[in-house]
Amino acid sequence: MRPREEMAARGSGKRGSGSGGARGPEPQEEPPPPLQAVLVADSFNRRFFPISKDRPRESLLIVWEKPWYFKAQALLPLANVAMIDYTLEFLTATGVEETFVFCCWKSAEIKEHLQKSKWCCHTSPNTVRFVPSDLYRSLGDVLRDVDAKSLVRSDFLLVSGDVVSNINISSALEEHRVRRKLEKNVSVMTMVFKESSPGHRARCQEDDIILAMDSATNRVLHYQKTQGLKRFPFPMNLFQSNIENVEVRHDLIDCHISICSPQVAELFTDNFDYQTRDDFVRGLLVNEEVLGNQIHMHVTTEEYGAHVCNLQMYEAVCSDIIRRWVYPLTPEINFTDDPAQSYTHSKHNIYRGRDVSLGHDSVLDENVLIGWGTIIGNNCSITNSIIGQNCKIGDRVILDGALIWNGVNVANDAEIRESLVCDEAEVKESVKLKPRCVLTSQVVVGPDITLPEGTVISLHPPDEDEDEDDEFSDDSGVNKEEIKVKLKGYNKLEVGSEGRGYLWRADNENEVDEEEQRQSLWGPHLNLGEESETDSDISLGSEQPDSRSASPQLDDIKVFQNEVLGTLQRGKEENISCDNLVLEINSLKYAYNISLKEVMQVLSKVVLEFPLQQLNGELDPQHYCVSLLPLLKSWTPLFKNYIKRASDHLDALSAIEEFFLEHDGLCTSMAKVLMAFYQLEILEEEMILNWFSRRDTSDKGRQLRRNQRLQKFIQWLEEAEEESSEGDQD
Amino acid sequence: MPGGAEKQSELSEEIEAFVVRLKRGGQRPRSEETARQTLGLLRKIIARGRWGKAGELMGLIRKEGQRMTVAQPSETTVGNMVRRVLKIIREEYGRLRGRSEESDQQESLHKLLTSGGLSEDFSTPFAPLRANVIEAINELLIELEGTTENIAMQALEHIHSNEVIMTIGYSHTVEAFLKEAARKRKFQVIVAECAPFCQGHKMAIRLAEENIETTVMSDASIFAVMSRVNKFPNEEDSFHKFVSPQEALPFTEGEILTKINVHCPVFDYVPPELITLFISNIGGNAPSYIYRLMSELYHPDDHEL
Repeated sequence: MRPREEMAARGSGKRGSGSGGARGPEPQEEPPPPLQAVLVADSFNRRFFPISKDRPRESLLIVWEKPWYFKAQALLPLANVAMIDYTLEFLTATGVEETFVFCCWKSAEIKEHLQKSKWCCHTSPNTVRFVPSDLYRSLGDVLRDVDAKSLVRSDFLLVSGDVVSNINISSALEEHRVRRKLEKNVSVMTMVFKESSPGHRARCQEDDIILAMDSATNRVLHYQKTQGLKRFPFPMNLFQSNIENVEVRHDLIDCHISICSPQVAELFTDNFDYQTRDDFVRGLLVNEEVLGNQIHMHVTTEEYGAHVCNLQMYEAVCSDIIRRWVYPLTPEINFTDDPAQSYTHSKHNIYRGRDVSLGHDSVLDENVLIGWGTIIGNNCSITNSIIGQNCKIGDRVILDGALIWNGVNVANDAEIRESLVCDEAEVKESVKLKPRCVLTSQVVVGPDITLPEGTVISLHPPDEDEDEDDEFSDDSGVNKEEIKVKLKGYNKLEVGSEGRGYLWRADNENEVDEEEQRQSLWGPHLNLGEESETDSDISLGSEQPDSRSASPQLDDIKVFQNEVLGTLQRGKEENISCDNLVLEINSLKYAYNISLKEVMQVLSKVVLEFPLQQLNGELDPQHYCVSLLPLLKSWTPLFKNYIKRASDHLDALSAIEEFFLEHDGLCTSMAKVLMAFYQLEILEEEMILNWFSRRDTSDKGRQLRRNQRLQKFIQWLEEAEEESSEGDQD
Repeated sequence: MPGGAEKQSELSEEIEAFVVRLKRGGQRPRSEETARQTLGLLRKIIARGRWGKAGELMGLIRKEGQRMTVAQPSETTVGNMVRRVLKIIREEYGRLRGRSEESDQQESLHKLLTSGGLSEDFSTPFAPLRANVIEAINELLIELEGTTENIAMQALEHIHSNEVIMTIGYSHTVEAFLKEAARKRKFQVIVAECAPFCQGHKMAIRLAEENIETTVMSDASIFAVMSRVNKFPNEEDSFHKFVSPQEALPFTEGEILTKINVHCPVFDYVPPELITLFISNIGGNAPSYIYRLMSELYHPDDHEL
């Protein structure tokens, strides 16, 4: 099979140049240098928006109208300990000696938190360096900065600030280092996954992945988020390559822990359009042959790893911590050495802090954590709940699956099920919170009111976003809010007669369905049965394996086409090498989210139209060919880069066909153009014949095929093939 | 004295590292090892710490000891070693004050009851105290080294020919004990595997290597053979230690986990009334005599650190 061989040869040639061209320092031989970690304490999304928005001064997160401007969820308390502490403990326990904490939003608070913690104490084996900047908008920015400042000296761990894990990374790290030694820096990243079957509560739906791996080498071949789809296209070449066992796995949780080589940071610099790790993984896998980089994976079965990306995960991870899945990171171990966080552990996973008082006949059923100084009244029933410090719980209160932060007051006869109550909120007498409610800090509800499922109540009026964006970091904003509150008053039906707070709605009610937004705060529900059939329809229709949420707009293709045209023009004028043109087109491809197939079509079209400009619209086949052929010759590598598989050939051919259908006057030159393509070894004869004999063409297409010159050309090709096959037999 | 400050910070770093090791507790070191590490650390504190009087030293030890104990409350060895050291300081101080050792030894039940009134203030500074205490700790360390052998030496007194011995899980001490007995006597051992960790398998392999007739069985069938068993040597390191339920029910068991609670205790609790004999390095003692042993090794004032 000629095409494949050639492809392989080409691939390996590029691979050599790709890794040779990497600027990174050569990995040092033993002893391995101290392990470093890059901790990104920002998730760059607005998932926890309403919760964080209420407490701009205390902890987390915020986003104003810029979608990327979101929050620092790193300080959210998980079982009363800030999330970032879990991540740092994980890094320290696994042997990291230097951690760079990158953050953007609320960086001052994170810094203050870290300075008070044991991580900045001189005895800490893990040196924490704090790198705040307002300019980070994505993970990509952070890694580009890592590269610019040359912070990492060798392989490093990349984690987000919301990772909870007890994984010992050393075996994965060892595998990674061995791989890099054996294969000269081909593998740039090892991703860590935790095995867990579908339907598990700690599986985050928006992070649900399906991937294909080479079982012999653990190489990641294909990586895709499921996005609730039910059918998944896999590129055919995955199974046609010479890899013996390809495993397709859907039983993995992405822990968001990756072992990266310094090349990763460089690749982010080179590809300025990479924003997230997913972009990076996708880009690397798609361009694997071109850049010669590979991604590997490590799967752990025994240890725990999760990342808290939404409230559903928040709840799941909290309950896993209480149920000791993350041992030794259990509450009574008090790994932060904070005296306020010392707990005693008794049977049925009951953890009690110091100075907790429990009234008569109050029952702590199981999986309960009660923070320091909390007072609980009589006849309460508490199960599967986490209660923060200095809370007051009245009499006859029922808490089931409640997550309560510090300083909360819950009055008599209240009932809270599977809901989140943030700092200093107040729940008055006989209030019932149905599952998945959220009361953000200082909200007051009640008395005698039942909040329906999924209610989110915040102190911020829903429509204040726009006029507040300029002062969210400003203390005076607080006063202004109070004034506003007086002006507007609260809706008694929503929060009760003594209540304080507004029903929180997503930015604009007519744009985003309220229900949908609530759902996304808690994350999509686990119930898979609910999924509508449209989802599977979408998956049927979407051809490209790396489709993002929606297929690109037509406009995008138009813009992309113009950009490609501009690129080629410049390329011609300034004599830019084809390699650089490929690079530029690739980045355009990502910028406009264009599939490979469309790139092919656009490229063919642009190249074929190119001479038309010079001819001033005059359709003279003779002139056309004269000006086109040299162009084709100089851009041959460009085409070769994109036209590899059989389907690529056909796509290119159909694009050529389309062009000639549009420009009737040039029909006669089609044979010449095809000839040129054939002679430049861009298109295979087999494929041209294949295209020619296709039945499913339109009338016009058939007419085109009747063109004499074309027929002659085809005939010539057929003869040539017979000859060559005869020659082979001899 | 910059050298002193440096030493101080070095010491606190060491303490920190020890505490962190205890907390992570992943590798479950043997209790003997933990005891030795604790003592080594306490010795360093005594040698390098800044103190003038016995009272200050005791405060220091108590403070650091408390941190270590809190780090891993299920590891009782640490707390016991701290108490031993406190007791040593008391004794050495008493000796320097001129109280004879005999009078101390002869503490009667009556004296024990009234000991509250006799409390010392430990405020007299004695120059040789530091050296004496360190000497005593060194002796204690030597004693620790020989614990396993000392216990094993008594094996012949307890294990007789043709007995059926049952044990559970793996314990270094029990292994040495049985091997010592097997050199002279012939007997049969039944090992319960101790799921889900199944250290029993390791125990059985080691015993079988010494040509001891060994049978492994599942925990569930213990009751069936109990009637045939003559003796049940067992070692308790610590108790009330719950680890990740992973071993009992893998995390991959997706949906079922959302509906149930899984607990995975590492140690079983044996109520004292079911124990017939305690074998320590100085000999076997009946449970009723343990109180006396305790008062010899630990001072009543130190029970609460």
